[in-house]
Order: sequence, then C-alpha cells, then structure tokens
Amino acid sequence: MSTKTTNLLTDMKMPFCPGCGYHLSTRVLARAIEKAGIHPLDVVVVSDIGCCGLIDGLLRAHTVHGLHGRAAALAFGIAHGLADASKKVIAIQGDGGATIGLQHLLEAARRNVDMTLLVHNNMVYGMTGGQVSGLSPEPVKDRKMPDEKDIPPFDVVELARAAGAAYSGRIIERGDYTDVLVEAIQTPGFSLLEIVGPCPAHGIGKIKDIAGMALQDVTYRSDREPHVAPRRETHSLFSQLRSVKVDFQANLQGRFSLIVAGSAGEGVQSAADLLANAGVASGLHATKKGDYPVTVGTGFSIAEVILSSEEIHHTGIEQPDMAIIVSEDGLSMMKNRLTDTRILLDAALSWPDAPGSVASLPFRKTAGGKGAALCAIAHWLRQENLLPVEALQQAAAQHKLADRFLGIIEKAKTLAGS
Amino acid sequence: MSELSSRRVLTDASRLIIEAAVRAGANVFVGYPITPANWLYHYATQRFPTTLPATDEITTLQWMAGFATAGKFPVTATSFPGFALMVESVNMAYMMELPMLIVLVQRLGPSTGSATTGAQGDLLLLRGVISGGYPLPVFSPSNFEDCWELTGRAVAASLQMRTPVVLLTSKEMVMTSRSFDLSRLPDIQQAAWPEYRSANGYLPYRAKPAEPPPFLPVGNRQHQVRINASTHDASGLIRKATPEALANTRRLQEKIEAGMQKHMLFDYHAAPGSDTLLVTYGVTAEAARDAIRRLREHGRAISLLVVKTLLPFPPEALAILRRYARVLIAEENLSGLLRELIYGQMTPASVLGVNKIGKLISPEDIVAGYEKLSSMPSNPNSEAQGGKRS
Repeated sequence: MSTKTTNLLTDMKMPFCPGCGYHLSTRVLARAIEKAGIHPLDVVVVSDIGCCGLIDGLLRAHTVHGLHGRAAALAFGIAHGLADASKKVIAIQGDGGATIGLQHLLEAARRNVDMTLLVHNNMVYGMTGGQVSGLSPEPVKDRKMPDEKDIPPFDVVELARAAGAAYSGRIIERGDYTDVLVEAIQTPGFSLLEIVGPCPAHGIGKIKDIAGMALQDVTYRSDREPHVAPRRETHSLFSQLRSVKVDFQANLQGRFSLIVAGSAGEGVQSAADLLANAGVASGLHATKKGDYPVTVGTGFSIAEVILSSEEIHHTGIEQPDMAIIVSEDGLSMMKNRLTDTRILLDAALSWPDAPGSVASLPFRKTAGGKGAALCAIAHWLRQENLLPVEALQQAAAQHKLADRFLGIIEKAKTLAGS
Repeated sequence: MSELSSRRVLTDASRLIIEAAVRAGANVFVGYPITPANWLYHYATQRFPTTLPATDEITTLQWMAGFATAGKFPVTATSFPGFALMVESVNMAYMMELPMLIVLVQRLGPSTGSATTGAQGDLLLLRGVISGGYPLPVFSPSNFEDCWELTGRAVAASLQMRTPVVLLTSKEMVMTSRSFDLSRLPDIQQAAWPEYRSANGYLPYRAKPAEPPPFLPVGNRQHQVRINASTHDASGLIRKATPEALANTRRLQEKIEAGMQKHMLFDYHAAPGSDTLLVTYGVTAEAARDAIRRLREHGRAISLLVVKTLLPFPPEALAILRRYARVLIAEENLSGLLRELIYGQMTPASVLGVNKIGKLISPEDIVAGYEKLSSMPSNPNSEAQGGKRS
C-alpha cells in the first residue's frame, strides 16, 4: 500500500448530463480510494461502453475501456494477470452491461476473484434512448414499455451472493456512501456494489422516484478465500513421449493402409495406436487418426492407420488395403465406405454382399468386445507378418494396460490359422 | 538441442503447437472445450503455467485480453462456432493492441456442421474479421514441422506487433498422430514485448510510424497506462475521429503491413520447364506433395507453392503466381476461398480450383484437377507465355 496518495481525479470536467448519478458516484469513488490510502497507480479501472465508460479521463488511475457488457470479464483477466493484492481492479458497468455480461459477473463471483464490480443501475439504457433493461424496476417499465411491467428485474446483488461473492451490496445513491465503497474495495475476493442512481435525461430525475421502486440498501458478506489462478512449474510435453527404437524388421515396401472399425469404448483407438507404435519400432513411418461421432462413450469408433516404408504426407485413406470390423457400429459405417477391400470381419457380424474378400473369425468371442480389435490385429500380423507380432507385444508391454493387452495378443493365437 | 537428439516418437500436432507456444513465451491458456481443438486444451493444462476454464468463448477472449494488459501472453484454441463468439473481442484486442494467439482448428460447417470432420472454410472470415478490413495476421501450418515453427513465429510476431494472431489449422492436422523425429525441430527463442524503458513521460499509444507503441502493464507504479478499444488518441482516451485518433487507427494497418514483411512465409518448388503451378495451404499441402511426386513420376512437371502466411498474403507469392500460364488451387471447401482471396470475383479461365468438403482432398483429386486444367486454355498474359506483368 502506498505511503503517499494523490487525488484520484484529474481536473477534467465531468462529461455526464446535468443531474446524472455519475457525478456523485465518481466523487465517491475518488473519496473511497483516498480514504483507503490507495495510490492511484495501484488502481485499475475497467469500464464498459455506455455512460459509465466516460469515466476514464476523469481518473489518474490506470484505465481499460473495453466492450459493452464485458468489463467484469476483462477485469477478471487483469486481476488474475496481476495477482497482487495491493492492486485494486475495479470494473464499472451500467445496468445494461451487467445483464449482457451477466455470465461474466456470476463467474467472477463464483471464483471469488479479487476485484470489485460497480453496477451503476440507472434503470435504463441511457446512451441509446432510455430503453428498459434487465434491471429496470416495474414502475420504470410501466412508463416506458408497459407490456414489460409485470416481468420482474434481475436482482444482481442476490445473484452475486448466490454465486459466491465475498461481498455484495446495494446502495441507493443518496448522501455520502464512501465507507460502503471502501469496504467493497478492501474486501479480499469478489465484491459487487449495485449503485442505484438517477438518469434525468430519461425521466428518472429524482431519488424520491427511486425510493418508490422497492429497491433497498443491502449488504451481504462472506469470508471465502479469493481464487488465485495457479502458476505451476511444468515440464516439456516431449518428456512424456516414449522414444521408439527400431528393434524389428518390417516386410513392407511402399504403403499399407488399414481401417479398424468398431464401437466407442471398445479399445479400437488404443489397438490402432499399438499397431502404429509397432510399425515405427519396425522401421516404418506411421500415421494414425480416429473418427467418431461427437458422443464419446457410444456409437462407432474408427481408427485409420497408415504404415509405409517411405515418408507419409497425405494421411487420407480412400480405400484401405484392409479393414478390420469388430462390431455392428463399425460395420454400419463401413457399409457406405468400402468398395473393394480385404475385410477381417468378426464372426458375430454378417455382411453377405460385402465388397471384396471377407475372412470371418470370432474376435469378440476370443478376446471380448474390448479386446476384439487388438485380437484381430495380432491375428493378422501372425498370419501375414507385415511386421513381427513381437513388435506389437513390445508396444503393448510399454502401455499402462500392458497385462490386459498382452493377454489379448496371446489369446489371438487360439484363432484358426494363427 | 540435446534434449531432442534423434528422438523418433509417435505424436500429434496439438502437442507440438502447445509445446512451441510455451517455449516462445506464452504463459496463460484460457480454454473453452470445442471439438476438434480439445487436444490443444488438454495439453495446455499440462504445460502452461496457468490454465483457466472459461464459461464461453466471449469470456475466453476477455480474460485473455485482461491477462495481456497485465503483461502475460495468452493462448486459446477453438473452432468456428467458438471463434464466431470471439469476433467482437478479437476486434477489441486488435484495437487495444494486445498480443495473443488464437489457434483456429477448422471443421466442417456451416454452423456446428460436423465437429469431427476437417475443413478449410474460414480463410475469408479471417480476412474480413476486423471491422474496416484491417489485416489480422494468419499463419497456416502445412505439416508437423510448421506446427512447431509457425507457432513460435506467431507468438513472436504477436508480441512484436502487439496484435492478436491466428494459427489456422484443421482437425486433420491436429488430431492425427505421426511417427516423427523430434530432433528435426529447431530451437524456439522466447519472445518479448516491445517494452517501454525510458524514464520520461509515457503515453500508452505514442508510437513511431508503422510501429506498435512500447508496452507497460497496467498496475505499474511509474506511468499511468490507458488501454482503449474505442477510437482513441495517444494518451489512450476516447476521441471521436480527431486527426490524431484517426492517425492512430491508420497506424494499426500500417504496423501490420510493415511488421509482417519479415514473416511472409511460403514454400516454393519450381519444376523446371513447368507452366503450371499448384497452390495450396494447410493440411491439403500434404496431398499436394504426394500429387506432385506422382505427376513427376509420370513425366509431368508441375510447380508447387505452399502458402504459410495467408494474411496478409505475401506479395512474393503473387509474383510467383504471375509466372505461370496455368494455376491449380487446392483447398477443402466448395467455393475456393484462397482462389477468391487472390483473384476476387475475376478468376481467370486459366485458373482451376480443386475443391471438396467432408473429406481430405486426395492426391488423386489434385492429379485429376491437373489433367482437367491441362486441357483448358492457358493465360496468354502470364510471364511463362511471354506476357507482361499486370
């Protein structure tokens, strides 16, 4: 905290309409900063578009002038970016900004980030013609947009409280409320103060008008700890990657493409990953990608693997050299896709008019639904030795599910022809 | 780099992009989940010193802008639906002159389209995304090495020019694993803000012509900092179209044009004797490399231009285009966005698009395009035909 304070206000003339509540609230803000002994350059004022956004030039503090309705979110980023309790980040929004950005203020309250949000509720959109806002009380709507009068306004104070704000309160702008503002600003964590004031340009000129609008001064306090964004020591993402040594010899000149088609959650992707790893360990280039619906735990799961003795650029597969199909989900996707391909089909599936040659084997029965894809790959490698099945075993042995995968590869031996 | 000496691994490009961003100096990731950008978010939670989950993409950009005013370098990753929500806030950051990186992973549109299908559909959105047509720098990696290098480059360019930068990629680039030798990757230097070092009075938007202003974070005790998204003067105060404020706004265009001159990236492989140029970008470049090889094996010479700095479009790349009597432009969309970026509504008859949606463009598609183009009239004005530069 500062030893020397100066006035927060510049000598610029206030740009607000005669009688506007911002005259008072700006002076109260300056008094509060001074009374709290805060150096103006320890203050960052973040303002919205709208009448409240005219405040920048009046302040000797740092000022950030952003978009309509986003000051709370912008201030959130600044508060977390500074992460310094001696810096006071104060966002200022009107009632319109508070509702367009309602999610932002709720999130700031939920996380209890160390900042203050002043919601200047003058009950209308002042700069654009006095339209009603989400915070307009019924009497204002009755005058300006009678169809809306039975729709209740949001209570931002209650919303902020419910979301977890350390401090949330409302003040009807009459007299000096410096001490209220000092408490809001000094509260560690998120504080919201709704300041209800007049907008004479749009017929809300007198505090006594406001007094009849059923809005009350209120203060809620909670002693939650402020949220501090983590700053972690991290390590290179490459350190997690296992180097693949070439311990095996592949029997492949050129490119071989394989599609494994099954169901989500049945190990299709991990089986394909193991094959790609085994390919690399056999001196080949490899690519692998997955295709699945947006649902993660249900529906089809398709893996595409390309193995090649030459560098692979394009990773698309028009027609694969082989397709392994181990479930109904996978089969239904392949029916539209394959036109002339060798197919290894699980024995429980039926595709009478399959294009190309089909070998049917009981992968699911042998290794279970979750082992069928890997079982089929292991069987195929043993049959044709495009690369040694030992390369697949080595890749499986390095996986966190090594025991399970090695067991599946072993079980594949029992299939006819293996 | 000894850490990476001859390391063959199986990796995806999301990992490369996040690692490169952190090494280049990025330190905050704000995420909102969206397919196909989720792997980037996932890696970011492991690698960035600070990662925060935002409640939506508007919040994402606002938080990022806040972090940037405090001197952090923020990154996010998204796809069209999320980017659409960010548009106003990207304009804000552009006007405020805040650096940040947005990795835009393209997927099939319109609208939510197919979240798990790749595409190249957002180029012209980016060309027009800053109101007024101001240039937003866009880099597009064409392979895994690019994902590393262009990410580092994007962070550096963003800081150097104080501007948001987009890394434009696709599902098929960032969600595909490859065998890859990490030792092929060059070092990435940590980049820094153009910092203010003078003890004299500071005006937050006082800058040399065609340069960004030097930076000081908000909250510093030495100088008042005003950051403003509305038209503003050198002090950062809102001004309605005064000459000084308009000069500041014009400088936004000029600083990108000047600053991007050293970031005009493309790969050009001229085939001797060829009068045909294949132009592409992003993931389609991989199919183009295979197609060129196939054509060459059949005795057809065709040159290849892979554009990596898409916006602003490199003038040198335009000069290369003018040398060819026939031009083939391959991109994964129907209407030909790169074609329109280059030729507007007046695509010459000697220019043909190879276009497709829902699936990667294949080398066969490009070869077929080449065959078709070969039977079409060539451009009599190209330099290959002895014509003059237009």
